[in-house]
Amino acid sequence: MSDTPLSSEPANALVPVTVLTGFLGAGKTTLLNHILTAEHGRKYAVVINEFGELGVDNDLVVDADEEVFEMNNGCICCTVRGDLIRILGSLMKRRNKFDGIIIETTGLADPAPVAQTFFADEDVRAKTRLDAVVTVVDAYNIEQTLKESPEARQQIAFADVIILNKTDLVDEARLKSVEDTLRGINALAPIHKAQKGNVKLTDVMDVGGFDLQRILASTPDFLENTHHHHEEDLTSVSLTLKTPLDAGKFQMWIGALLQEKGADILRSKGILNFEGQPDRFAFQAVHMMADGNAIGPWKEGEERISRLVFIGRNLNRPQLRRGFESCAVA
Amino acid sequence: MSSSSTLRGLIEKRGATRTVEGHITACAASHDNLRFAFTTAEGDVIVAHRADLADPASWATYAVHDGAALALAPDTDPSGFLTGGDDGRLCRLNMHGEIDELGKSRRWVDHVASHVDAKTAYIASASGKVVELRDGRGETLLKTLEHPSSVTGIVFDTKGKRLAASHYNGASVWFTQPKSESVRTLEWKGSHTGIAIHPAGEALITTMQDNDLHGWRLSDGHNIRMSGYPTKVRSMSFSRTGKWLATSGADVVVMWPFFGGGPMGKPPLELPGMGGALCTRVAHNPEQDILAAGFADGSVIMIEPETKRVLPVCLGAGGAISALAYSPDGCLLGFGTEDGLMGLVDLSAG
Repeated sequence: MSDTPLSSEPANALVPVTVLTGFLGAGKTTLLNHILTAEHGRKYAVVINEFGELGVDNDLVVDADEEVFEMNNGCICCTVRGDLIRILGSLMKRRNKFDGIIIETTGLADPAPVAQTFFADEDVRAKTRLDAVVTVVDAYNIEQTLKESPEARQQIAFADVIILNKTDLVDEARLKSVEDTLRGINALAPIHKAQKGNVKLTDVMDVGGFDLQRILASTPDFLENTHHHHEEDLTSVSLTLKTPLDAGKFQMWIGALLQEKGADILRSKGILNFEGQPDRFAFQAVHMMADGNAIGPWKEGEERISRLVFIGRNLNRPQLRRGFESCAVA
Repeated sequence: MSSSSTLRGLIEKRGATRTVEGHITACAASHDNLRFAFTTAEGDVIVAHRADLADPASWATYAVHDGAALALAPDTDPSGFLTGGDDGRLCRLNMHGEIDELGKSRRWVDHVASHVDAKTAYIASASGKVVELRDGRGETLLKTLEHPSSVTGIVFDTKGKRLAASHYNGASVWFTQPKSESVRTLEWKGSHTGIAIHPAGEALITTMQDNDLHGWRLSDGHNIRMSGYPTKVRSMSFSRTGKWLATSGADVVVMWPFFGGGPMGKPPLELPGMGGALCTRVAHNPEQDILAAGFADGSVIMIEPETKRVLPVCLGAGGAISALAYSPDGCLLGFGTEDGLMGLVDLSAG
């Protein structure tokens, strides 16, 4: 848990970065081209991998090599993308040339190293912010893909936003079943249905998926959705607490928890009500790397409830709940 | 055009500044000490002639790269420059302002280095995982050197016999002479982000992602670790004799001793800083035991390590110093900032 502020620059000075993941053939590049050619008056720098399925129609396209390496910082699972550190560093010297950055990953890529890059590197943190991990899912093939590939499950678990593409190829009943499957893995991310990547841009760009503000506004009940725990592998656990939290106790608990279980916990997110604090505190982590900041006061008349979600494997719900409750002020 | 009215230090009486659009990515002097070039993230190269140092409006601007100019080195001829850009081009800018494309790659040309002495001349450029070694004229591709991951820095040794490249999990040392195909691989786990070589070839040093330096004693491959930095080290410079290695990355200038057995187990020498601002660039004077240092608050100072005396070169620039270099004769000092300020100071007597 970091005690230092994310950056000295105001949040809007940081360049938003969107990470586009999705299994081979899910329609990532189609979605990317849809985003780039839409009438939005915005310019994007695009980082792609050299095995892209289709050409990308944009002025500023950078080829990346997906070079992952382990940080020597004591986090056993802390892998980051060195090529992104270099590319983002260089792009930030031309800050005036674009409004945002889109990173497309290869179909088989684990999104964790990409996301962790935004926590681990001081220069990347100082100048960019990870806006959202957008995962494109092929409605027609996803059930088969999930059986065959742990990476696909990982990508869904990691998503801040899920684009359920190719919905025209399945019927209502099957679509519902796919949605339930996705919800079982990731209770948190809004699911937007699409055909040939035709999503609303506001659903994928600048969603603030990582700072939670907009995601909460769009899905106010996301944390109450605690039904789907039948997925034997990756699942979500959502917790709420009405009693205000002791900030010190929470930091101790979450720090120890992520240190111990961080390899299994892919993502954690929360909006927390710390005792004596007028502002909501947004907490988020990717594996062991955690961050948090105040995100403005609670709304007038809004119930001050602390909400916390874990997405991962081998999650012990009662244990997590007891731990969370132990952080309440005495 | 210039905000020099607010700048203090040697720059007032002995130098000049000019501000352009874009981050200054590098600066360097030509071998004949007569020209000084600055590269920008807009792809421009600005060249100041020594005779026109005091008249920055006359410094010429050349649009060399489409995209950012990422790397700069003096040309092997006395008066020109070599640049690399994210348009994948390796270019030569000669004294007449003519631009020649020496190479073209799909990837960004991130690093350029040159070597010239009485007998040999080479040009090296790094693009992705590949380093290309060319003859001094740049017309013949002598070697294409493949690395296991992207190359993050290249450096020739003082004699031009070896070329070293940093990358993930270590560094590779190649011989420049055409008959030798062998590579010496120096391993150390982690992401190595830059490279420097001791002037007498005693050690090879890399900067690392994890806020420290790594090194290898070249005689026996013995590992050298130098740590304790609060941030990443971006800039390293050996003193002319190789006695000291100056580094950025702290709020003071950190100097590692390379005499009496090397830096192993010794604390580094800390030279004065700028009252808390992070040191971002260092450059040793090639002729004297004096060091220039640039800081995140835009300050540039010169320090005499022996006495720790400090001479302000330019105070009050604002943007972080992103480029800093002496001319080979040690008489010109140039610097650039992240927000496009270029400064050039004449240190010669008279």
